[in-house]
Amino acid sequence: MKQNIIAFGKFLPGRAVALLGLTALAATPAAAATNGALGATSTGSVQITVSVPSRVQITGLTDISFANAEPNGPAQSAQNNCVWSNTATKGYTITATGSGTGGAFTLASGALTPVSYAVQWNQSSGQTSGTALVASTVSGNFVSTAAVPTCATTPSSTSSLIVTIAQSQLQAMPSLTTYTGTLTLLVNPL
Amino acid sequence: MGCPRVLPGGMILVAALGGATPAAAQQIQLTRLTDFAFGTVGVDADISSSKDVCVSSSGVLGRYNIVATGSGTNRAFTLAGAGAPMAYEVQWSGTAGRATGTALTSGIATTGLATTGLGLNLGCVLGNDSASLIIVLRSSELSKATAGPYTGTLTLLIAAE
Repeated sequence: MKQNIIAFGKFLPGRAVALLGLTALAATPAAAATNGALGATSTGSVQITVSVPSRVQITGLTDISFANAEPNGPAQSAQNNCVWSNTATKGYTITATGSGTGGAFTLASGALTPVSYAVQWNQSSGQTSGTALVASTVSGNFVSTAAVPTCATTPSSTSSLIVTIAQSQLQAMPSLTTYTGTLTLLVNPL
Repeated sequence: MGCPRVLPGGMILVAALGGATPAAAQQIQLTRLTDFAFGTVGVDADISSSKDVCVSSSGVLGRYNIVATGSGTNRAFTLAGAGAPMAYEVQWSGTAGRATGTALTSGIATTGLATTGLGLNLGCVLGNDSASLIIVLRSSELSKATAGPYTGTLTLLIAAE
């Protein structure tokens, strides 16, 4: 039997009815909740969905101070910190930026010539060497071992930041003169 | 029930020879359930959602108990997804419009509840919800979860008391 439906004052054939129905179904989000039936007991259910976004966090950074650095060799500082990543691979990248011109890794002291320094990163803690970072450039891939943000549980740290001032730079610095700068680390989930 | 006897004057006597007539079993129904879609959430704070539901009962007092079970291993309240199962909490309030309630334990009956939805379906049809179902996702779970979608099913069994 041919069925018709009135839409906007016009008759549509039965096939058009089916198409309209499909369109409506496609636009409606799937609902999984079920109501209970009437009885001595009644059972219903609901579906719970949530999505966790990719997130990273770097913590545990401390200021670096080279007090009275001897110019007879390089000055180096290594510190442990924590990088947490919740991606499936726990991967991340780092982009380090200095406070020098164009993001250069340099320390300033008024009108004196800036002093450059080098930055290394190691994805393990307790290290004194690592992958050299290039200013304002995304690093290669690293992997975190942190279980939770801020390394609140074991391990208490995951990675090492190593900053080095070369001997040649130290020898170019006037004595009893303070140089300062800021190193910014941008971590991205991977 | 005994046979009717016609008494003088046309009266009919019906003698109940058996026990009292059994009372009808109490009927109960759980309706107006809807899914909990949290969407993409932050991981550094607890998040919860409360939804009103309707419990209607034929009982005079509307008393019932509830047993909730999850779709995790051993019916645990966990969501499955990209990483390890994510635990969630379930709370129930015998009053609609509540943001918190009594914590439910999977597979364990919470008793002594009562609904205001008396008279089967009447209150529910009119949209007068009588209870709140609350789902809580703790930051402690969210922050250790691998990024990605998670899903699970929560089943609720109510029984008249």
